[in-house]
Amino acid sequence: MANNTDKIVCRCEDITESEVLAAIEQGATTADEVKRLTRAGMGHCQGRTCRRLVNQMLARALGQKPETQRPITQRAPLQPLTLKALAEYKES
Amino acid sequence: MSAHKSDAVIIGGGIIGTACGYYLSQKGLKVAIVEQGYLCSGSTGRCIGGIRQQFTSSGSIKLMMESVRHFQNMEQELGTDVHWHNGGYLFLAHSPEKKQAFLSNIAVQQAAGLKDVRWVDADECREIAPGMDAAGLLGGSYCPSDGQAYPFAVVQGYAGKIKQSGGSIHTFSKVSQILQQGGKVTGVKTDSGREFSAGVVINAAGPWSKDVGQMAGIEIPVEAERHEALITEGVEYLNIPMLVDYRADGGYFQQYKHNGQFIGCYSPVPNVPGHSVDSTFEFLHQMPKRMLKLVPGLKDLKVIRQWAGSYENTPDGNPILDRTGLEGFYTVAGMCGHGFMLGPAMGRVAADLIFSGGRDMPYPEFALKRDFSQAEAMK
Ligand SMILES: Cc1cc2nc3c(=O)[nH]c(=O)nc-3n(C[C@H](O)[C@H](O)[C@H](O)COP(=O)(O)OP(=O)(O)OC[C@H]3O[C@@H](n4cnc5c(N)ncnc54)[C@H](O)[C@@H]3O)c2cc1C
Ligand code: FES
Repeated sequence: MANNTDKIVCRCEDITESEVLAAIEQGATTADEVKRLTRAGMGHCQGRTCRRLVNQMLARALGQKPETQRPITQRAPLQPLTLKALAEYKES
Repeated sequence: MSAHKSDAVIIGGGIIGTACGYYLSQKGLKVAIVEQGYLCSGSTGRCIGGIRQQFTSSGSIKLMMESVRHFQNMEQELGTDVHWHNGGYLFLAHSPEKKQAFLSNIAVQQAAGLKDVRWVDADECREIAPGMDAAGLLGGSYCPSDGQAYPFAVVQGYAGKIKQSGGSIHTFSKVSQILQQGGKVTGVKTDSGREFSAGVVINAAGPWSKDVGQMAGIEIPVEAERHEALITEGVEYLNIPMLVDYRADGGYFQQYKHNGQFIGCYSPVPNVPGHSVDSTFEFLHQMPKRMLKLVPGLKDLKVIRQWAGSYENTPDGNPILDRTGLEGFYTVAGMCGHGFMLGPAMGRVAADLIFSGGRDMPYPEFALKRDFSQAEAMK
């Protein structure tokens, strides 16, 4: 649970370091699992800010190199777009 | 490597597998969930969290009324906030045929005990769903006790309880063989060669349940079909229930009470068979169009993510909950796109069936060997 000294890992969803650690303790071994357990990476920026931090934490906990951790699945749209813009889009 | 031993092995860590596991462990059975990916990596983690009781088969209506009771108590029961909210479902009728169909469905639903479902006229629809464009609308079928919950939290809640009762969850473990001896199931083997022995094995593999059945030589008529979804950023809760528009250019969407995000999908025509979870630009263009046609005021809301998942369809739109020709091997699958909502009641009923040794079939309409020609109309 969050406390005052806890570092924020995912700014969009307000997820702290100890919440991510708790997910790893629960058995998460990949960033996609951490995302589903905590919502880190599900926010407005789609993990652009937090995914690196989550991977570093996972790698540290599992004794791996961060680059061996698969990043969370990235999905369209790459940037948030309004319903109106998407509805009116016409392929040229 | 010695075999892992338990009373029941469940293949699949989605809502169905974990709900079955939870209820079996409540009965004192030691449960092992064997999942090829991670919990919720299949359909359950891709669904939009809608929960409704408006069906047309009395079995489904009654089961869903039970599921809603479970969802209502889940926070207390599992010690996890599952974001349950009874925001209601409003099915829209834009044609006299649809209106007539809804009116007769409502009669069936009320007869099955669903008392708060009712027909509402177009003006009342507008009141129920503020900001809705009711052009061409004749009215709708409205049930305020329908609702929503958060799939990840529900599955985690069940998984936590299974572990607390001495059960175990094995992720990244793909079952590749069903073990048997003398006509009885004895366990499963994963593709890494690990054995899990148990006298009960449950096929809860959702869209893959046909493949799992084939491992035991049993035909399970469940086919995967791709459905896409999207989610927006969160805004103030607007009190709009789940809107279901069955027109060819319609869709279904709701707003989560918990964080204000809108989430929705539509059924593609023609359908897209298979396990693909690729998402398309067509959907990202179409879904917003369909949402804005119903609620134009949402136009500035931003979409933050789209994805796809599988429905697991049976030929008649009803699930399969049954024993099989192999003693001790059960199938709880083929939820036809309603598995999240059916999960709690299905898990409870399946656990009762299995615990009693599989003698009394609770729902003949969900039998593995049935006449599949009677379709569920509110599929
Ligand atoms: C876009 C979309 C929207 C939806 N919206 C709703 C909704 O609003 N309400 C609702 O009630 N339902 C909805 N659904 C349907 C719902 O998601 C499914 O009916 C439900 O999740 C099925 O649950 P399950 O446990 O049977 O399957 P799954 O969640 O797919 O679980 C099966 C698991 O089995 C595992 N598995 C498969 N083969 C093996 C193997 N050989 N070894 C080990 N593990 C294996 C898979 O990895 C998977 O995790 C929606 C579905 C989609 C795609
Ligand atoms: S910081 Fe985690 S999703 Fe944006």
